[in-house]
Amino acid sequence: MLTVVLSSCDAWLDVKPYDKMSQDELLSSEAGYMKLLNGIYIELNRDMLYGGAMSMEMIEIMGGAYVIGTNNSVWGNYADLAEYEYGTDYWRARFNETWNKAYSLILNCNLLLENLETTDVRFTGDNYKIIKGEALALRAMLHFDMLRLFGPVYSRNPEALSIPYYKVYSVVPNERLSASEVAAEITRDLHEARILLANDPVRTSGTMASAPSDGASSFMHYRNLRLNYYAVTALLARSGLYFGDNDAAYKYSTEVIEAAREVFPFVDRNLVSGSPDDPDRIFSSEVIFALTHSQRNTVFKGYFDPSRIPNYVFRMDNDLMSNVIYGGGATTGGSQDDYRYRVNWVATGANRYFYKYSDMVDSGSITNTMIPMIRLGEMYLIAAESRSSGLEAGVSYVNLLRAARGVSKLPTLTMETLQYEYIRELYGEGQLFFMYKRMFSPVIFSATASRNPQPSDAIFVVPLPSTETDN
Amino acid sequence: MMRSLYSIIFLFLSSLLAVSAQDNSVVLKGKVLDSADGYPLIGVSVTVEGRSGGTITDVDGQYELKIPKQQCEVVFSYVGYDDKVIRYNLKNDSAFSKVVMYMNVTQLADVVVTGVYERKKESFTGASATFKSDQLKSVGTSNVLQSLSTLDPSFKMMESTQFGSNPNVMPEIEIRGKTSVVGLKEEYGTDPNQPLFILDGFETSIETIMNLNMNRVASVTILKDAASTAIYGSKASNGVVVIETKAPARGRLQLSYKGDFGLSLADLSDYNLMNAREKLEFETLAGVYKDNSGDPFAQLRLDDLRNRRLLEIERGVDTYWLSEPVRAGFTHKHNIYAEGGEDKIRYGIGLSLGNTDGVMKGSDRQTLEGNVDLIYRTGKFQFSNKLSINWLDVSNPTVSFAEYAYANPYYRKRDADGGIEKYLYYPEDGVDDYPVSNPLWNAHLNNWDKASGFGFTNNFIFEWFMTESLRMRAKFGLTKQDDDEQTRLSPQHTQFDDVGETEKGLYTHTQIKELVYEGDVAVTFGKLLAEKHMLNAVGGFNFSNNHRRIYGYSATGFTDDQFDAPSFANGYPVGDSPDYSESLKRAASFYINGGYAYAERYLLDFNYRLDGASMFGTGNRFRNTWSVGTGWNIHNEPFLKDSDFFSLLKLRGSVGNPGNQNFSAYQAFSTYKFNGWMTNIFGTGVILNALGNTELSWQETTNYDVGVDLTFWGERINITYDYYWKHTDPLLAIITTPGSMGVTSVAMNAGSQKTRGWEATMRISPVYRPSEGIMWNISLNATSSKSQYADIGNSFSALNESGKTSLVGTTRYYDGGSPTAIWAVRSAGIDPATGRELFIKKDGTYSFTYDVNDEVVVGDTQPKVEGLLGTSLYFKGLSIGCYLRYRYGGQVFNSSLFQKVENIGTQEVYNNQDKRALYDRWSENNREAYFKGISLVQRTEKSSRFVMDDNSLVGESFNIGYEFPDRIVRRMRMGALNVQLNMTDMFRATSVRVERGIDYPFARTVTMSLGITF
Repeated sequence: MLTVVLSSCDAWLDVKPYDKMSQDELLSSEAGYMKLLNGIYIELNRDMLYGGAMSMEMIEIMGGAYVIGTNNSVWGNYADLAEYEYGTDYWRARFNETWNKAYSLILNCNLLLENLETTDVRFTGDNYKIIKGEALALRAMLHFDMLRLFGPVYSRNPEALSIPYYKVYSVVPNERLSASEVAAEITRDLHEARILLANDPVRTSGTMASAPSDGASSFMHYRNLRLNYYAVTALLARSGLYFGDNDAAYKYSTEVIEAAREVFPFVDRNLVSGSPDDPDRIFSSEVIFALTHSQRNTVFKGYFDPSRIPNYVFRMDNDLMSNVIYGGGATTGGSQDDYRYRVNWVATGANRYFYKYSDMVDSGSITNTMIPMIRLGEMYLIAAESRSSGLEAGVSYVNLLRAARGVSKLPTLTMETLQYEYIRELYGEGQLFFMYKRMFSPVIFSATASRNPQPSDAIFVVPLPSTETDN
Repeated sequence: MMRSLYSIIFLFLSSLLAVSAQDNSVVLKGKVLDSADGYPLIGVSVTVEGRSGGTITDVDGQYELKIPKQQCEVVFSYVGYDDKVIRYNLKNDSAFSKVVMYMNVTQLADVVVTGVYERKKESFTGASATFKSDQLKSVGTSNVLQSLSTLDPSFKMMESTQFGSNPNVMPEIEIRGKTSVVGLKEEYGTDPNQPLFILDGFETSIETIMNLNMNRVASVTILKDAASTAIYGSKASNGVVVIETKAPARGRLQLSYKGDFGLSLADLSDYNLMNAREKLEFETLAGVYKDNSGDPFAQLRLDDLRNRRLLEIERGVDTYWLSEPVRAGFTHKHNIYAEGGEDKIRYGIGLSLGNTDGVMKGSDRQTLEGNVDLIYRTGKFQFSNKLSINWLDVSNPTVSFAEYAYANPYYRKRDADGGIEKYLYYPEDGVDDYPVSNPLWNAHLNNWDKASGFGFTNNFIFEWFMTESLRMRAKFGLTKQDDDEQTRLSPQHTQFDDVGETEKGLYTHTQIKELVYEGDVAVTFGKLLAEKHMLNAVGGFNFSNNHRRIYGYSATGFTDDQFDAPSFANGYPVGDSPDYSESLKRAASFYINGGYAYAERYLLDFNYRLDGASMFGTGNRFRNTWSVGTGWNIHNEPFLKDSDFFSLLKLRGSVGNPGNQNFSAYQAFSTYKFNGWMTNIFGTGVILNALGNTELSWQETTNYDVGVDLTFWGERINITYDYYWKHTDPLLAIITTPGSMGVTSVAMNAGSQKTRGWEATMRISPVYRPSEGIMWNISLNATSSKSQYADIGNSFSALNESGKTSLVGTTRYYDGGSPTAIWAVRSAGIDPATGRELFIKKDGTYSFTYDVNDEVVVGDTQPKVEGLLGTSLYFKGLSIGCYLRYRYGGQVFNSSLFQKVENIGTQEVYNNQDKRALYDRWSENNREAYFKGISLVQRTEKSSRFVMDDNSLVGESFNIGYEFPDRIVRRMRMGALNVQLNMTDMFRATSVRVERGIDYPFARTVTMSLGITF
């Protein structure tokens, strides 16, 4: 009797909020999981993550990509960052914001994964595995970037205490782990994701970068805008190299390179050579995983558009550009014939400005929204660096890439020329700082070596937010 | 006329029947009537002394009792009435045909009304206090809560330094201190320390109680300990306030009028601001008129500025800005009540109007309330219904009092033509200086901040008197309340100086719609067995549903000051979306209460309640509340029975675990929201909005209480003493978490809090002649409590950190620490030689360097003892009362000294400051100063130098009243007439001078009350 009354009471007391979506309601269908997964991808576009700070703004300044002036009223707090003064109130708050946002998305991944474990929702086709695999990969990718930003210089100090790795939602804070333990977790998650994504349609049907013609759900289309099977493989290559596992880095990067012929072909040179009106500036066909940011052009205008003058505009040091990156001949590998120079660097007055993120004329195109997260070019550079027989042998991979960029072969490969190639290929994509940190080498701000900051923990290790260390 | 004819015939017949009874037994028949109005009394128990069994009167007051034909004593007893004993001597049957009973006034006060059941105070084991309408009115007329705080030491109305006497700000109320961690109110919007309010048996809000016209109140009972509150289970840990409104009285139509007329004046005595000359001198000493850039023209300009100000002062300009926003606030409240009816139907219709003008201009509160009370009784059933409808209209000043306190006295309020200038000072072109706006400018614009409300409450109660000892009651209450808040800022407001034309002016509109319903079914049993065993029991089921929705939007782009309709707006603020939020809270409970008394000497009470509430996670949805109380009425023991010295001597004790559910509706849920700011080709996305904690436990307070009630010496001395111990475990708190958890704060159970305290009330009546209407009472009450945290570890380290770095935060959370402790670094004063502050480090050494880690407890805002001392004198119809509030042994961090004497920076120096900023400052000539030298750049840290003893004596209430004697009243064709004059907060003597009433000043009030019954 009492049990009956109590259970009916329980039902009556089970109130669902109307002005918010409760977890039970949202995750009661496959569509709910898809919305949550999509929500996480969308949030990656926030300006404290890859819509700004972690792709083209904060992290690129730390990577020495831009000329930063000293005039306070123009450059504001950027001068402090270019001096690696991480302790100022402004930059502490900014790093805090990035950290909090990354981990809040990790929490979203964990909630999704946890509910996925226990759900009785029936998923169509391989969707269960795809969703789970992508969520795992997102979790690994966010942890990886937080480790690269806040962790020790891995190559020198892999056992140092770094960041916590959250695998389940918990109201008790997790302990911080050593960098190598975090590395193991990242690798484990990426491996699991790769197995789950084994049936990813990208392997059979390519990226399918257009909407289904019958008006059906796009969920399984645009695989290059999702952490697809190859993107996870590419992340394994990137993380393998970072964690000093060259065999893994070589194995996975070459796997992607192998598959890319079909799936991620080099950009159509007609789109970039000569003087096309409407170049594909991000080389969209080569992008293994990109975010889709609906206001990317606004972001471009906020950082790179020369019409911002007299406000700050991010661009490369003139000397560095003309004498090293896109000049200097065989010793640097720089050439003005480089497609990357011709389509991405537009002259206004005495300077050239960076147009990678500017819209193509076809304003409705999906390529106008893409923020590349990992691209084919990086796989060639990883393969070159991780090839067991050393850099000398790896030059062939760099030359394959260079051939697709319309520039001549390099006779040999050195650490410097490899770094220059990184700058050419990945400029404005948030990878340069991590490369210098990985190699523990000076950060190339300028063509004059003496003006480039020497490697040190002070510049490469960003202090953890104070809420982490106090608790 | 017909009625009395019937009763005569009936009485005649019944006496005939009585005579014709059998020889060995006889049947007594008759009717029991009330002495006051001659109406029948229902449910009077009729028994034969020394025998079990008996009967009760029916709805017409009739009874029939079969007794053996022998001499005996027949006892008539009824709650609230004196027992009536009639001796049966075999032939006086007629003496039983009409029995008149007299109401026992003192005894009625001795009933504890819990809102669920009623119990004789003598046999109740809980700690409670009951106050009647006239007691409440005699100490104050503003509202019930204000009066309660004067009468009971454990009921505390927290003084708001920020909002002063603002009639539109709800006070914070505590019974026996806080049980929840601070910071929750901000997060949840509900005060987790607020007691539960029960009005006529139904849960209600503090706003309703504040708006309730005091003249409608019959009695208020405060339930304090577990034994008395546990019947409310998980809502009861903060104590319960039970308010009963007057029920219509029987009799011919009776009309009464009660009126209160009050005058309030702002109390600005805590302000100690500089005059014009002092302020200019202070600015000069602080270096405001000294140029540091080395530019000779700049120095010339500053000299000129100072000279012009000096000239104004010489001309006699010394503006007292504080007088500008205040006024004499006139308050009038009226209550008309018509009541009447006979035994079956009673009715009451009332209308209350209240108009309170606050002491700041533009601050009003108007209430209008109509109520209809109906009671219908037939056979064994009674139906009663209370309907009340209320309107509310409030408005608030749009310029805070603080802005007037900031204005410098060397500025004129108005220009030569009497006009109001927008700026008191506007820098010349090219001068890097801020303009100073005139508070009168914003005040004279067409700005407003107002709200209105309409609501009704209908409470229906059905009672079935099944047998003498068994009663069933079903209740259903419905409350609908709609509020509407609107604010408007004129486009000419200084706030819009720097925004574009189309963004000037702001209009906001918020609607709050609330629907509450509550139902309750209970069965009550009460029986005296074998004359010694008194059994009481109540069992029932209760459910409630509270649905609240808030809608809101804002509009901007007004072009005109005068025309203020929202339709004149240009549009919505850029990026603004409409507000909508709602909360639905549900609760369902089963409860049972039992009481047993043996020969009125040994008492035992127990309560059990099973509560379920929607706010708590599925893992913790139901919770048990229990309590046990026991008592010993020593005065009823045989060894004291013969002595008249003690009329009451009771020891009692209780233990229980009432809980707290004053929390937000959806805290246990994880909720999601749309990304909103972006969609993509995959469609919409959602992400986590709030992280729920399904394992969140109910906050629960184990509550122990031991007490003694003592009345002796012919009721001249009356003492109640309680010692209590509360242990709240776990606490529920919003904890700041490391960002890596994915959220920056989370609702968690963490740590516990222990509170020990005592409270005592004593009333002595040196003159005690109630029969002649002469009485002199002296009352003293006192309370004291101490709390400390336990097991919180580092959970609150983030709060501690932010407290350390914040400007004035002195609260810390450490194990063993008190929630009210003041933490700061000890100071040894100002070093005479250097003028620097000398600090005492944790290890006792001295240092000039301030280190936040040297913080220790340097005081406690909780006084060692506080309470009220009062006296009242009744002489025939005249009554005089006087109540003084005292506080002793507490400390306060004097933020006025900290912020308006020292720590005056380059921004603050342009505001007017405390006089003490100019005097007693260290300089080469005044080395023994208490304060540092005048400086705009020196930062002063929180040290014990600003912690001061906070002892005070406040003249809280003085009153004088007169009840006109019957003969005069009759001559004036009235039923009753009384007048009363009441003065509140007339004086205040304190050991520390701190600015109080920052945004709204405090007030002193004089009220004249009038009561007329026709």
